[in-house]
Amino acid sequence: MSRFLLRHAAPAALALMLLPAAASAHCFVGARFMPATLNVDDPCVADELSLPTVSMFRNGDDPSARQTDISAEFSKRITESFGVSIGSAWTHLRPPGGPNASGFQNVETSFKWQFLTVPEHEFVMSAALNIEWGGTGAQGVGAERFNVYTPTLFFGKGFGDLPQAAGWLRAFAVTGQVGYAIPGSRQTINSIDIDPDSGLAVADIEYHPEVLQWGGTLQYSMPYLKSNIVDLGLPDFFNRLIPIVEVALQTPVANTITSGTVTTGTINPGLIWAGNKFQIAAEAIIPINRQSGTGVGGMMQLHFYLDDIFPNSIGRPIFASSTMPGGLGR
Amino acid sequence: MITRTMLLALLALSSPAVAHAHAMLDRANPPVGGTVGSAPRAVSLTFTEKLEPAFSTIRVENASGERVDAGKPQVERGSGNVLRVGLKTLPPGSYKVIWKVLSVDTHTTEGNFSFQVGR
Repeated sequence: MSRFLLRHAAPAALALMLLPAAASAHCFVGARFMPATLNVDDPCVADELSLPTVSMFRNGDDPSARQTDISAEFSKRITESFGVSIGSAWTHLRPPGGPNASGFQNVETSFKWQFLTVPEHEFVMSAALNIEWGGTGAQGVGAERFNVYTPTLFFGKGFGDLPQAAGWLRAFAVTGQVGYAIPGSRQTINSIDIDPDSGLAVADIEYHPEVLQWGGTLQYSMPYLKSNIVDLGLPDFFNRLIPIVEVALQTPVANTITSGTVTTGTINPGLIWAGNKFQIAAEAIIPINRQSGTGVGGMMQLHFYLDDIFPNSIGRPIFASSTMPGGLGR
Repeated sequence: MITRTMLLALLALSSPAVAHAHAMLDRANPPVGGTVGSAPRAVSLTFTEKLEPAFSTIRVENASGERVDAGKPQVERGSGNVLRVGLKTLPPGSYKVIWKVLSVDTHTTEGNFSFQVGR
């Protein structure tokens, strides 16, 4: 079976990835532009740089610690439809009563294939394999010693194909993701002690669960409203805003002996301002339950469209198609 | 220091002299979603970037899906970012403009909108 895959399926998949897609750099799908989102990855491959993303919140520890994350991510298209990204985060923890801890989280890489783009329906799908490289971060801030592999499916859908009578509703779009995180290690033995009463060895074992990672965004595009539905004559600043709500959740589903099966996550309402070459976003962080955190935090991101800043160098796919776009049926 | 550097970088990126970007529709005549009292003779689209004329197109359809534009669209020579196409004589009704353009840095964008010619 594996030999068959190597001989036939793998070359076929590679050939498909090398085919030019109807994509147009950062996430344009037909008339729809889907911005880069902060907590749920957008469904396209792109040349882009998120630097920095800063978030501050009280985490789900008991007692809850103040956590500050400063992260960066660089994404690069290899072909029009296949891209890689690499990123990491620096974390500062301030638990009540101390001591404080600082350090980097594990390095993460992602390999994403945008395999379906339907411009007329503003619909896009992609698949990715995300790898968190164990041991590359600091254990003091929670970085694990083992790898975590997360195959993930993404989609995006704009509602511009609704009937004209839908009016302003056509500016809405949704994106979503479903991933399954598989740890490279099933358990960690934290300590082994001798029970003084029985004389038997007692091990403190932490089991690493397999986790369903799911979430999505609901976004309202003022740029789409202005260009495709009705130009209200608003100032340019307002015409570039995209109000958004993100939801990112995690549910342990297997090997849950020590983790439990409670779903954790956050809801992130906010605003994205999309310029010609960069975007700025600000969102609140609202935990869905005590295990997800306490109080309301916040996050901000500065995100650069490298395909627009460096269109003839690092903003292009390494293997770019020279195909010019077609007309409208002339 | 880092903040100042970031602000300078953003200012530089906001400058039109740095690099080109995706051509976004800035304004249209007739306006997007608007109503005009009398039949327009042309549709004129102004974009945020200069266009490649050979790969920039406009199609105008009536409510039945029949084409009502007259001839090949032209990019205005002076500005380079205005695409215009003539129209046949339009009776009152609803019309759809479908456009697809290529900016000079080879980014493709597209869109569509409707306008009304009043009765």
